[in-house]
Amino acid sequence: MGGTVQPTIEKVPTYCYQCVAGPDLLKVIVRDGVAVGVEPNADVAAEHPACGKVCVRAYGLVQKVYNPARIKTPLVRTNPRKARGEDPGWTPVSWDAALDLLAGKLRALRATGLVDSAGYPRLAVTFGSGGIAPAYLGTFAALLAAWGPVDQGIGSGQGVKCYHSEHLYGEFWHRAFTVAADVPRCNFVLSFGYNGDASGGVTGVWRHAEARARGLRWVQCEPHLSVTGACATEWVPIRPKTDTAVLLALLHAVLLEHDWRAVCDVPFLENMTSSPYLVGPAGWYLRDPGTGKPLVWDPARGYAVPFDDPACRRPALDGEYIAAGVEIGADGARRSVSERVRPAFQLLLEHVRPYTPEWAAEIADVPAATIRALADDYLREATVGATIEIDGATYPHRPVAVLLGKSVTNGWGGYESCWARTTLTALVGALEVPGGILGTTVRLNRPAQNRLDSVRPGPDGFMEQPLNPTGKDTWKGAPHIRNAYRTLVPLAADSPWSAALGPAHLPWLFLENPPEHWPAPTLPDVWIIYRTNPAISNWETGRIERALERFPFVAAFAYTQDETNWYADLLLPEATDLESLQLYRVGGTKYIEQYWQHAGWALRQPVLASPCDTRDLTDVATDLAARVGILDEYLAAVNRGAGTTVSLTGEGWDHAIPPGTRPTAAEIWDRVCRAATASLTGGRDVRDLEWFRRNGAYFVPFDMRNYFLHGAMVARGLRYELPYQERVTRMGEELGARLHERGITWWDVQLDEYQALPKWKDFPGIWRGTAAAHGRESAEFPFWLLTSRSMQYSWGSNVSLPILADVARNVKGHFGLMLNRGAAERLGIAEGDLVEIESPTGRTRGRAILREGVRPDVVVALQQFGHWATPFARELGMPSLNEVASMDLALTDATGSGADLVPVAVRRLDAGHAR
Amino acid sequence: MKWGMVLDTRRCVGCQTCTIACKQEQGLPAGTQWRFVADCEVGEYPNVRRLFLPMQCMHCAEAPCVPVCPTGASQQRDDGIVHIVYESCIGCGFCAVACPYHARHLVEEARGYFDVPTPAERATAPPGRHGVMTKCTFCKERVDAGRAQGLTPGVDPDATPMCSVACIAGAILFGDLEDPKSQVAQIVAEGRAVPLMPELGLRPSAYYVLE
Repeated sequence: MGGTVQPTIEKVPTYCYQCVAGPDLLKVIVRDGVAVGVEPNADVAAEHPACGKVCVRAYGLVQKVYNPARIKTPLVRTNPRKARGEDPGWTPVSWDAALDLLAGKLRALRATGLVDSAGYPRLAVTFGSGGIAPAYLGTFAALLAAWGPVDQGIGSGQGVKCYHSEHLYGEFWHRAFTVAADVPRCNFVLSFGYNGDASGGVTGVWRHAEARARGLRWVQCEPHLSVTGACATEWVPIRPKTDTAVLLALLHAVLLEHDWRAVCDVPFLENMTSSPYLVGPAGWYLRDPGTGKPLVWDPARGYAVPFDDPACRRPALDGEYIAAGVEIGADGARRSVSERVRPAFQLLLEHVRPYTPEWAAEIADVPAATIRALADDYLREATVGATIEIDGATYPHRPVAVLLGKSVTNGWGGYESCWARTTLTALVGALEVPGGILGTTVRLNRPAQNRLDSVRPGPDGFMEQPLNPTGKDTWKGAPHIRNAYRTLVPLAADSPWSAALGPAHLPWLFLENPPEHWPAPTLPDVWIIYRTNPAISNWETGRIERALERFPFVAAFAYTQDETNWYADLLLPEATDLESLQLYRVGGTKYIEQYWQHAGWALRQPVLASPCDTRDLTDVATDLAARVGILDEYLAAVNRGAGTTVSLTGEGWDHAIPPGTRPTAAEIWDRVCRAATASLTGGRDVRDLEWFRRNGAYFVPFDMRNYFLHGAMVARGLRYELPYQERVTRMGEELGARLHERGITWWDVQLDEYQALPKWKDFPGIWRGTAAAHGRESAEFPFWLLTSRSMQYSWGSNVSLPILADVARNVKGHFGLMLNRGAAERLGIAEGDLVEIESPTGRTRGRAILREGVRPDVVVALQQFGHWATPFARELGMPSLNEVASMDLALTDATGSGADLVPVAVRRLDAGHAR
Repeated sequence: MKWGMVLDTRRCVGCQTCTIACKQEQGLPAGTQWRFVADCEVGEYPNVRRLFLPMQCMHCAEAPCVPVCPTGASQQRDDGIVHIVYESCIGCGFCAVACPYHARHLVEEARGYFDVPTPAERATAPPGRHGVMTKCTFCKERVDAGRAQGLTPGVDPDATPMCSVACIAGAILFGDLEDPKSQVAQIVAEGRAVPLMPELGLRPSAYYVLE
């Protein structure tokens, strides 16, 4: 072996953000300039909550670089006809020509007017994979900020694929855009479909594994045994979309089958919730006529006093009292009251009375005894009254959590489930305290980096929330983008994230079915898409494709050919994960189950020279800004932190980019690196890009106490707006009034969601109703088609990588349809048979995978597949729920979301071969 | 010194991170997996459990694959690692038949994932691994190189099998079963982990923590 030249090996630190639970820090092994592998970043094991590990998706990144099916150079469409059967006729062009084409279109928009005659932005931009795109976008957000009005609300599956009601109501109730259990201090988790062992990232998996090893009990209620269900202590196979019924029955069991005074956290209910607020006969709080403050009943003095009267030590929670005051309803309508009133908690007691475990058992197919046992276990494990020390502060310790998953937290029933869960939590004081449930991020409030700092006093002793106004003079009746979140969804607020949190499917829906008394639906003149594939990921993909045929100009940042960019006019191969440069925030109160005890910044950097003619998105943004003539506006946006979340100037530092310059990506990110580190240290410690290239990440400590909202709520003397939903009811009534004043009645069903105490409705029946709406009989579709997350694929934009399929095949559900074995046998379906799934609106097919861990009335298609254009993925033969889901206003809840469930028929097409 | 592994099924989530990390570390061709996590169901609806079971070579002390090898290619080191000398292997498959854990994998032709090998595949595919039997080696190259640097396998990542390094659930522990201070030895000594199919008498070096 003498004379062998030793290879040059580098290990380059970077990050992976292929899921919403990122970023995770890793190292890429580069041998003689070739990326050959990925490994955990052991250098940050002490800081990273999962010891610097990265999941299966990160190991696909090397193949992502070298995938021969990549788009290798910009491509321009030559075939003007857009259809699935029409080859786009791609022709390679230079980046200069490609950007000139796009910039020309954009300049034309600026000349014509940024907004069209219907009032909608002429430029639309869609980013996919909720929350992931910003970690890869470079400074593209600054380009959009410099541009002006941009429609970012044309959806790619948002709402139907996320925890939509949890996002909106969770942030409203406890700054919980997403909710997680405080797993390290929790002893009992009751999960309704929460699949965190597939979707919670490495930190979620790590925390759960540690907890299981120490004996955490986890009960998983879901229609099929998911990955998380597999790891659970117990599986309760519940009927789809009936979770609300069981949750209401749990409330019944806790409140009416136990002595609630003995088992609930009464001081918490009295002092930290709206439970004692008196409610008048019209359903509004009884208020002090002078101050407008809600009143509570003081048993010690025998009369009603304002909720914040310090002399009232123990307000009444139950009973009925005669008291005087005013009720203030929608639009400020006042009504004097001097009659019988009841505390909100009393109304809760009465509200849950019909929801017995026996009642829920009929609906949910969960035995009443099981529900009662779960209630008993929950109360026993809650340890009401116990405390725990966290970093020198004393907190209540309530080691019980109720978690909800996708399809439970969105679509009809999402509000009711989220309300029942959060109320159940509040009953034992397990809200935002150690061991209980915690919000993990904020998206509608600011600052984004620390939930506790977003706690500000609002009306009636509750937190402030930036709701979209519904008053006569304040309602935004003219939609400013095509999904109209400001007009239709008060809870969506108006933050940079709100466009993605509105009814993101309405633009697609309204193109074919224009509603009455509404601005005419228009197509954007230019649509730019990045890391998104709505022709696969939206519901009713056939409708998406029909619309795409009509889009006049689509520029797609493209890794491979896919089902949406098949309809594009221009494909731009951006530098991908291991090829581009960006500094990104890590730690703090960010996203699902991260819980860093540090905050800081991590660098994603090119680990090698791209084998393709790619461009870094930051360079693309700068180039486009210059070509369009908005370079200085773009640089100003970069300087103020648009997209990067850090201003380049601050007290004691100034790393701003001078106007009139045209910096490279490296020059921009060098300044961001300096500003980011300065911002963490008050300017004392400044690290440049070269430092980050070598070290990967920079941290400062982040106090664990920042994860428990309880401290901020107590410090500010605020209450959680639970259980009674007066503000929600008011916004619903006012919204209804505004819409009706415009003659709009097509949103009336959605208005029914706004309830002070949410009721059970026949939620499964809403989906079954789609059959009649399409001229079919509901009995024709006796099965439920559901989806479930695949850790190997969720958010990864990696379906074209065969190495992922190679290993994913080991996990049940890849690549076919999962059915209950007994149900399949009754239909004559054997393992591997080709099976057709038919819904009232479409058909899909796949090979049968027979399982015992699936309810007999359920079939499951993992994730989102059904590809026909994406290389490799089109060969997987994977069925798609999105092909058979009906995009329908009737299936849209008040927050603008749907859910992944479809009534279907199942039949065998032919005998297959067991694989 | 005897290298061994403890696989904790309470922790494993079946994510296949170990599977893909192993493929990467060993430059395995498309379709070949030296280890994987089996996705198992036990029972009948509704009384059913789903279990993730990491499977790999058990590096048995009484490895049945070694004596059946007609060329002596299947070997066992003093530290217990069972491996194959590719130069001597004729790919006859006797060892695969002898292995009750199905842990041996014949690579007839080392194919990449695409029509043409990628630069990464060219850089990582070991020469001479065609037409031979292959299997998990407990990443003996990592272990040996790490020890040469004074590192401790099972403690220092650079001396530890890649599956253990990569596992995101802390479900794969590695170490010296004869060192009473090692985590794996302690778990085994306390009776908290058991081998699969102990009745075969092969004395596997991989132990499983069940429930």
